[in-house]
Amino acid sequence: MNEGNNRILVNGNHAVAYGVRLAQPKVVPIYPITPQTPIVEKISEFQAAGEMVVELMTAESEHSAMAACITASLTGVRVFTATASQGLMLMHEMLHYASGARAPIVMFNVNRTIGSPWGFWPDQTDSLAQRDTGWIQYYCEHGQESLDTVLQAYRVAEKVMLPAMVMHEAFYVSHALDIVEVPAQEVVDQYLPAFNPLHRLDPEIGESWGNTVSQEMFYRHRRDLGLAMESVIDVAQKADAEWQELSSRGYGIIEEYRCEGAELVIATMGSMVGTARDAVDNLRKEGVSIGLLKVKLFRPFPTEAVRQALMGVPKVMVLDRNFAPGTGGFLHQELKAALYGMDRGPAVHGYLTGVGGTNISPTNIATLAREAMSTQPVVSSVWKG
Amino acid sequence: MNMGYLINEEKVFNSGHAACPGCSEALAMRYIVNTLGPDTIGVVPPSCIAIISGPQPLSSMRMPVYQTTLEASAASAAGIARALKAKGNDHTKVVVIAGDGGTYDIGFQALSSAAERNEDFIYVCLDNEGYMNTGAQKSSSTPYLAYTASTPAGKQTPKKNLAEIMAAHRIPYVATATTGYPEDLARKVAKAKEMKGLSFILVLAPCLDGWGLADNAGPKVSRLAVETGVFPLYEVEDGERYTLNYGSKGTPVSQYLSLQKRYRHLNQAQIEEIQLEVDHNWQHLQRNFST
Amino acid sequence: MKEAFKEVPSIWTTGWTDILKTGTWRSAIPIYQKRLAPCHCACPVDGEIPTWIMLARRQLYREAWSALVANNPFPAITGRICHHPCEGACNRVEYDGAVAINALEQYIGDLALSEGWTLPQLRVELDQRIAVIGGGPAGLSCAYQLRRLGYKVTIFESRPELGGILRYGIPRYRLSKEILDGELKRLVALGIEAKLNHQVKSGDLSGLEEEYSAVFLALGAQSSKTIPQFSVDNNRVFKGLDFLERVNRGEAPQLGKQVIVIGGGSVALDVAGTVRRLGSQVKVLALESRESLPAQPDELAESLEEGVEIVAGVMVQKVSLSPDQISLDCVRVTLDETSPAGVLRPIQRSGTEFSVSATDVILAVGQDAVLTGWDRVVNVGQSLIRVDANLETNRPGVFAGGDVTPAERFVSTAIGQGKKAAISIDKYLTKQTSKGYSTKETEVLEDVVSYKEINTFYFPQENRETKGTVMVEQRLQNFAELKIGFSAQQTQFQAERCFSCGNCVECDNCFYFCPDMAVVKDSSLEEHYRILDQYCKGCGSCVQECPRGAVVLKEETER
Repeated sequence: MNEGNNRILVNGNHAVAYGVRLAQPKVVPIYPITPQTPIVEKISEFQAAGEMVVELMTAESEHSAMAACITASLTGVRVFTATASQGLMLMHEMLHYASGARAPIVMFNVNRTIGSPWGFWPDQTDSLAQRDTGWIQYYCEHGQESLDTVLQAYRVAEKVMLPAMVMHEAFYVSHALDIVEVPAQEVVDQYLPAFNPLHRLDPEIGESWGNTVSQEMFYRHRRDLGLAMESVIDVAQKADAEWQELSSRGYGIIEEYRCEGAELVIATMGSMVGTARDAVDNLRKEGVSIGLLKVKLFRPFPTEAVRQALMGVPKVMVLDRNFAPGTGGFLHQELKAALYGMDRGPAVHGYLTGVGGTNISPTNIATLAREAMSTQPVVSSVWKG
Repeated sequence: MNMGYLINEEKVFNSGHAACPGCSEALAMRYIVNTLGPDTIGVVPPSCIAIISGPQPLSSMRMPVYQTTLEASAASAAGIARALKAKGNDHTKVVVIAGDGGTYDIGFQALSSAAERNEDFIYVCLDNEGYMNTGAQKSSSTPYLAYTASTPAGKQTPKKNLAEIMAAHRIPYVATATTGYPEDLARKVAKAKEMKGLSFILVLAPCLDGWGLADNAGPKVSRLAVETGVFPLYEVEDGERYTLNYGSKGTPVSQYLSLQKRYRHLNQAQIEEIQLEVDHNWQHLQRNFST
Repeated sequence: MKEAFKEVPSIWTTGWTDILKTGTWRSAIPIYQKRLAPCHCACPVDGEIPTWIMLARRQLYREAWSALVANNPFPAITGRICHHPCEGACNRVEYDGAVAINALEQYIGDLALSEGWTLPQLRVELDQRIAVIGGGPAGLSCAYQLRRLGYKVTIFESRPELGGILRYGIPRYRLSKEILDGELKRLVALGIEAKLNHQVKSGDLSGLEEEYSAVFLALGAQSSKTIPQFSVDNNRVFKGLDFLERVNRGEAPQLGKQVIVIGGGSVALDVAGTVRRLGSQVKVLALESRESLPAQPDELAESLEEGVEIVAGVMVQKVSLSPDQISLDCVRVTLDETSPAGVLRPIQRSGTEFSVSATDVILAVGQDAVLTGWDRVVNVGQSLIRVDANLETNRPGVFAGGDVTPAERFVSTAIGQGKKAAISIDKYLTKQTSKGYSTKETEVLEDVVSYKEINTFYFPQENRETKGTVMVEQRLQNFAELKIGFSAQQTQFQAERCFSCGNCVECDNCFYFCPDMAVVKDSSLEEHYRILDQYCKGCGSCVQECPRGAVVLKEETER
């Protein structure tokens, strides 16, 4: 199957670094911020040891780091950067700029609480608040998935020419040690063709980019961007299937876990998925008919796949480790929108669990599930610790 | 001997651009890009320069130009320079052409950082001493007592001395230039083209509309800026070796001020104050030139 | 339902802005125009001064000489004695001193002589014959210009040699015989017939009219005026012009130790300088005040250096003669400022009487034309032949010019008049109103380039140099030229000071200062440059940066 693979014990962040090394980006602008710093530190070590041939640019801010990512990408090379929380916030202007530029950047964001007040805790609000920037978004459960998803992200991004961000949470994944299989370079080389964009900043071509455009041009550009984003559903599924062939690891864009005949399906993203798996197993042992829907690809939202998965399911309990005032939980809101108008669609509970990084155990989830099964949902998200 | 110019130009800058008649920035852009030649990639932030770069889908420059956000010129240029290096391309030059707003203020952080890393590109600031594209608001490059839309009574603080700040970064090359001396500007661009690392050229570009000048007065006013000592033309290599190209001739600064509507509100005492400031700065600068 | 999409332009650029015609923005366009320089405007011979100086600057001296002799056949002469109104009008006066135009002309004229350059061959030979009466500067100039046009010309000169005042009135220390002979020889070699020692009287006119197609009267003003207080029968009293002629012929009269010259003009000072060289002391008594002496300032300075005593603002009231001296009773005067131009009305200042004595007196108080009998054949008024704007007398086919007409009494004016008369004669004979003569009258006078149109940034300050002079002690020894002409180096240096007002020298400033690259170099055009109509926005930077006003902005009323 996979000869010459390395199985190593690393934390989630370092796993990402190994993935990046395999993707061979040529320019990596970096700026430190807890808790993503080990990613870029590891990459720096790889470069210093000669294991990566890459231009490391120590920018003076994340905004500048993203600005450099965009231009390096438009000059025709593969790029990478990583950030979290405040850094991602600072980049916000440039995130829009990147998708408008159709630059297939891959960025890793370690989900961390956003100030104020200060905190370093796992919370997905930082990346979810960027859901309108035109970036593809993936949420990962563990280090191995993060490594594999970085590779898939390059494949998808470079196919549709949109940037992609891959997430895992602070500390629960980023700093947790796990056994990770590092695929062989040859395998990755098969999977990721060389990056050679048709349009680029090149004196041999001579085209320029960035002029003010007319309203008509703007409208059409946004529509084209939208079409590209829509196509990600298919492209991501295919990319995942192909990765499965090469590495025996596939994740799908969603995952249905023990949903057969379930009366309640728990829907969640990120590390909470791992905790919920345990809760589902425990509840099933007790004879409770519970399932789990993991949403991995969040942008574009996998509407069709989710509708299919939840067809005929009486209830859904969304667990959001994120919150926006006036919106409530992001997944709660997106899921409701996706399910709207379905015949035989489920009733949806939305619970805010783990916002700010509070610890949610399988027992907590089990309790919440029982409660959800026996109550009628309310429209807005409910605070549940 | 009567002075005549001799400037070698490649045809990179096109006619048909949207600059105001007589625009100093357009004249500067001509000498910058025509000296660098077509094997160049340009970076331009929001500014009059961006407008002059041409209406989509046309470009006024026969070389690739990337328009970036206002604060990100130096970072964007660094990204291109790094990508070129990664591709093994050591001949294509990268040049930023930015206004003073995007250089002295919002863009300064990125510029300072690029200088510290000695990134390999040329940064040219076309300094018209204000945010002219948005209607002549004050920037930290606006001189003392000048009128702008956001300082109607005259700016109360002096102009930031960016040439000296960049010299203090000890980058390989810093130079000041202005459009009234086109040969000098072209020479400095040609010099920067041959160097590696960060070169910074500060070009005083009188804005006809923003400063209140006649359409044909750009070069004349820019020469007066030099002859009065307001804007001496000099070079600094590695932050230490200073060379004076064109310095003060002792012309009273009132001759420079009287041509500009943005100084029309000044009274005699204020003009004298400005003269003292100019004299003081000139004296101070001269300490750097070896006799 | 799929929307039908229109062709979407890429967010990358697909072309260049040079398809955009920004020329539609402008309301005025630059025009390259050869404009009148003030030196040219002031020059009595209509000389194209910026043109020949530019050629000299490029060390194309032969071409510079060709440009000079188009209007004036003897630059080596005028380069010595012209009163150079060009220098007074020169725009550089206001900057750091006039260009030394006169000295440059002398250098080129002298070079032509030493190199043996000849005037260009005639391209056409016409049948008509013209009679020129008088071989002075006006007559010579007219003969030259007519000969250039191909006419057959005969000069009638009453004296043994050609030259008129040039040979018989101007002292050798201002114009040497060698230079004069060299210039005139070349001119005559064009095929001009000269009848010397041939006095033409008024009665000869009708006969000339039959034999010749036209006649030009350049009789000069050869009779020195006298003052009633003096009797010219006395052999100690001389007339100025006669005196100078005798000296030039080598027949200088024997003078006593103290000579008094009456008069304040150039002739008076020429007489005084001549007297000094003959070894006597001299005093000049002039009616005019020191500030308003008609003589040139440099002539005055030279006279004073040579020890001439100038007593200004005096009038001679009474003359007493005794065997060995002449005594003059004088009184100080001021001139009445309300008297009409040309009329001197002295007002005596009582109590200022004084006496001076002299061994000889020379009168240099003006010259009159000798027109006995001429008033019967042509219109004569106030002792001058009357002419119209074309220099034609009331008698068709008979023209007049120079000191015999109401003209300014300068050699260069006479040369200019000779040329003008030649053109008039040519028009008269060919019955054509215009043949493309380039004279400054055809250009609009408002279009003279002024100093404020000069962009002095392009001209570093350089001092004007003037011709050197021989040291005084040496000067008085003989009649060698007192002024030293420029060296080649001085000529080059001073030629570079010329702004070339209104005359493009291809400095390329206009080309370099256009932000729209709308000025294009085109060597096939006379103007050297072309404006790109589709791009020029009419900002006028090219006009402002032209150092010499050779580009102007013209409003475009119809577009």
